[in-house]
Amino acid sequence: MKILDFAMFSVRQVLSGGRAYYMWLAFLGVLILVGLAGYRETLIHGHIVSNMRDPVPWGVFIGTYAFFVGVAAAAVALSVPGYVYHWKPIKEIVVLGEIIAISAVIMCILFVMSDLGHPERFWHLLPVVGKPNIPRSMIAMNVLILNGYLVLNLVIVTYFLYCSYVGRPYNRVFFMTLMLASIPAAISIHATTAFIFNVLPARPYWNSAILVPRFIATALCAGPALMVLAFQILRKVAKIGIRDEALHKIVEMTVIVLFVNLLLFFAEVVTEYRSATAHTVHMQYYFQGLGDHVRLVSWAWSGAACNITAFFLLLVPRTRKHPVTMNIACALVFVGVFIEKGIGLVLPGFTPGTLGEVYEYVPSMPEVMILVGVAGVGIFVFTILSKIAIPLTFREEGESESELELSGA
Amino acid sequence: MQDTDHKERTTSRRQFLKAAGTVAGATVGLPGTSKAFDLEELFQQHFRELSQEDLERVLQRMERKYEEEYGKPFSVEATGPLDGVMFGYGLDISRCIGCRRCVYACVDENNQSRDPQIHYIRVLEFEREEVQRWIDFEKGDPFYDHEEVPAEGKLYLPVACQQCEEPECVRACPTTATWQEPDGIVVIDYDWCIGCRYCMAACPYGARHFNWTEPGIPEDEVNPKTHYLGNRPRAHGVVEKCTWCIQRTREGRYTACVEACPVGARKFGNMLDPKSEIRYLIEHKRTFVLKAELDTKPKFFYFYG
Amino acid sequence: MHPHSIEPRGGPSLSPPVRWTIVGIAVLAVGFFALGGGPLKQSTVRAYPSRPLAPEPEPVLLAPPPVDDEFFPCEDCHEGESADPEVRELDEHEHVKLKHGDLWCLDCHDRDQRDLLHLSDDSPVEMSESWRLCTRCHAKRIPDWRAGVHGKRTGYWSGRKEYRTCVVCHDPHSPLFKPLAPKPPPIPASQIHSPTATRSAEMNDAGH
Repeated sequence: MKILDFAMFSVRQVLSGGRAYYMWLAFLGVLILVGLAGYRETLIHGHIVSNMRDPVPWGVFIGTYAFFVGVAAAAVALSVPGYVYHWKPIKEIVVLGEIIAISAVIMCILFVMSDLGHPERFWHLLPVVGKPNIPRSMIAMNVLILNGYLVLNLVIVTYFLYCSYVGRPYNRVFFMTLMLASIPAAISIHATTAFIFNVLPARPYWNSAILVPRFIATALCAGPALMVLAFQILRKVAKIGIRDEALHKIVEMTVIVLFVNLLLFFAEVVTEYRSATAHTVHMQYYFQGLGDHVRLVSWAWSGAACNITAFFLLLVPRTRKHPVTMNIACALVFVGVFIEKGIGLVLPGFTPGTLGEVYEYVPSMPEVMILVGVAGVGIFVFTILSKIAIPLTFREEGESESELELSGA
Repeated sequence: MQDTDHKERTTSRRQFLKAAGTVAGATVGLPGTSKAFDLEELFQQHFRELSQEDLERVLQRMERKYEEEYGKPFSVEATGPLDGVMFGYGLDISRCIGCRRCVYACVDENNQSRDPQIHYIRVLEFEREEVQRWIDFEKGDPFYDHEEVPAEGKLYLPVACQQCEEPECVRACPTTATWQEPDGIVVIDYDWCIGCRYCMAACPYGARHFNWTEPGIPEDEVNPKTHYLGNRPRAHGVVEKCTWCIQRTREGRYTACVEACPVGARKFGNMLDPKSEIRYLIEHKRTFVLKAELDTKPKFFYFYG
Repeated sequence: MHPHSIEPRGGPSLSPPVRWTIVGIAVLAVGFFALGGGPLKQSTVRAYPSRPLAPEPEPVLLAPPPVDDEFFPCEDCHEGESADPEVRELDEHEHVKLKHGDLWCLDCHDRDQRDLLHLSDDSPVEMSESWRLCTRCHAKRIPDWRAGVHGKRTGYWSGRKEYRTCVVCHDPHSPLFKPLAPKPPPIPASQIHSPTATRSAEMNDAGH
C-alpha cells in the first residue's frame, strides 16, 4: 500500500506546480513535438532524409549517443566521493546525479532507436528472444550493459526515494551493494561505447587503445560540467540547499580530468602527425581539411579552443571559484567535449571512407529536429524525476513536506 | 481431416494477423507500407533457426508479396551450400580495362536499387605509377568518365565484397543478422537486420550498402529468379551486399560479373577443387589481397595474368 | 583532491569499490573469452540439406572461331591459285588492318591450300584449330588458357564450363583489344538527395 502511496505522491508531485513549471513543461512539449515532426519525415521517406550516406553511415545521432553515454557514466563522479568517501555535501546530491544518468541513458536509447533502419526489430538485440552477438559485437555488449545500468539506476533512485518517503532508513547492505555496483557499471558502459569505435581495424582514426581512457576522461569532465550547471539551476528554481563546496569539489575534479583529457588528446595528435602514415589523413581532414573539403575545420578548432580556455579558467583558483567564470568554463567544457566527441570523433573516422571517398556530412534538418526532440525528452525526464526527488531528498532543510509540495518548482 | 482443420485454422489466423497488421500499419505508417504491415513478418525467426516447414512457408509468403509488388511470377529459393565447396574469386588487374560492364550486370542480376543508386562493385582508377609500391585508396577515382577506356597510363581496380574468411562485418553485427555460410559467402538475413549500419563502419572495403529509402527497381527490369540470402528485392532500412550471386553460384553457374567481363579478367570457382581456375591462379600467379595488414583474409585475389 | 577535505567515516574503506571493480572486470573478461575465443565459426542452418557436389565434366568449346562468310571459304575465289608472296598493298581485303607484330598474310595463311593455315614447319592447320598456330609464338599463354585463367569462361563453374579459342576474343589480324566506351560512373553520395531536402541541397551545391 505504501508503494501505492508513493506512486500517488509521485504523480501528484509531477502534476502540481506553479505557472512557470507548466510553462516549462509546455516548452519541453514543443521540443518533443519538433522531434516527432522530424521523425515523421524519416517514417515517410526512410533515413534518406538524413544526410548520412554510405560513406558516412553514422552521423550526429551516434556522435551524440557517445556523448550522452558519457554523461550517464559521469554519475560516478558523485557516487564515488559520496558513497565511497562519504563526503556529506556530495552525498546529498548523488541522487540528482543518478537522475541525470537516467535521463541521459533514455536519450541514448532514443538516439539509437531513431538511427535504426528497423526500430521495430529491436527485440533481435535482446537475449533469449533475439539473437544478440555477444560478446563479439560491441554494440550488442553496449546495449546490454547500458540497459543494465539504466535498470540499476532506476532501482537505486526509486528505492532511495521510496525509503525517504516512507521515512525509514534504507537497507544498508542492499543499497550500498547497488550503489557500489553502479561504479564499475558506469565505467563499463562507457568503455564498451569506446570499444564500439576503437575495435574496428577498418577505421584507423578510432583504432587506438587510448580512445577508451579518452572516452572516460571526456565523460568525467562533460558530465560533471553539466551537473554543476543543472544543480545551480535547480538550486535557484527549487530553492534547495546544494552547497557551494559540493559544486567546487565537482569543478575541482573536472579540471583534473580535463587535464588528463587534453593530455590524451595531445598524445593522439602528436602520434598521428609525427608518425605521418597514411592513417594521418583523417586527423588532417579534421584539423586542416582535405583540398576543398574543409567543413569540419572550424568545428575542430572551436572545440579545441573551448576545452583549452575552459582548462585555464578552471585551473586558476580565482576564476574557478568565481560563479560567472566557473559557469562559463563549465559551459565551454560541455560544448568542447560535445564537439570533440560527437562530430569530432564520428565524422573524421568516416572521412575519407575506406575506399577513399570524401563525403562531407552535415546534419540535415530532420536530424537536427530529432536531436532537439530527444534533448526535450531528456530534460523532461530530468525535470519530472527531480520534481519527485527534491522534496524527498532535501527534507532535512527544515521545511515541512506540504510546504515543499506547494513551492514545487 | 485433422490436416484440413489445421490448415483452415492457420489461414484464418493468418488473415486475422494480416488484418491486425493492416491496422497497425495504418497507424504506424512505416515507409513504403501502402502494403499491409505484416505481423507474421515482424515476428519471423532468424533464417538459421527456421525449420524446413517454416522456411517453406516464409519463402511462399515472400513469393506472393513480390508477385503482388512487381506483377510477375517470382521464385525465392533458399538453396543450401554444396558439400566440399569453398568459393574463391580472382581478378586479373593486368587485364581490367575499367569499362564497368560488371557493375551494371551486377545491378541487373541482383536487383539493386536504381534510384537511389546502389552499386556493389566500385571500379577505382589509379595513375599506374602511383600504385607501383602500394595502393593509397585516397588516390583512387571511382567517378572517372572517359570517351573510351582504358585511358592512357591508368590502372583499374574493381572492388566489391572481398568475402573475408575473418569478416569484420560479421563480428560487428549486434544481432547476428550477417554470417559466413559453409561455402564461404558472407550473407545477410534482410529480415533480421535492424539497420544499425555498424557493419558498414566495420567493413574495410566499403562493400556494404544501406537502403536509405525504399529501393527503386523498375518492374520490367526486376530479376524474378531470387534467393532468400541473395538477390530478392530488399526493403528500406536494411544493409545489403554482394553475395557472389548466391542464386547462381549455388546452382553451379558463374557470377553475373564473370559472365559480363569483356576481357575475361574475372575468375570464380571452388578453391577446394585442385583443377579449378581459382586454384590454378593462386598457385601459379602473383596474387595479392586488399588491406592484407588487417588480416581479414579475403577470398578475393587480385593477380597479374 | 585534498585528502583533508574528505571526511572518512569508518564504514567501508577503499576495499569495496576495488573489489567490485575487480569482480566487474573478471565477469566481463570471463564472458569475453569463454564465449568469444577462436576464429569465427561458420554457420549451420537448420533447413539446409546435404548437397553433394557433382563430378565436374570437361570444359566445352563455346563457339567455333568466327569466319567471315563473305570471304570464306577462300577457295571460292582463289581455287587452285598460288598466292603472290610479295608484301604489298592488297586490292581486295582492304578491311583487314594488319597490326600483329611484323607478320604478313602468308606467315599464317597457307600459300597453296588457301582454306588452311600453316605452322612454321609448313604443316597445315584447319581454321577451326587456329589456336595451335597461335601457340607457336604465344606458348606461354597456353597453360593459363587451358586452366581457364587466360581467356573468359562462362556458364557453370561446376557443370557446363564454356571456353573460347584465341580468335573468338582476339582478332588475329589485330589482336589487341579495342578500347570501349565505359558505362556511366556511379553517382557520388553528395548527389543522392533526400526527397524533402532537394532545395536546400541545391542551395548547398550552389554555395560551393
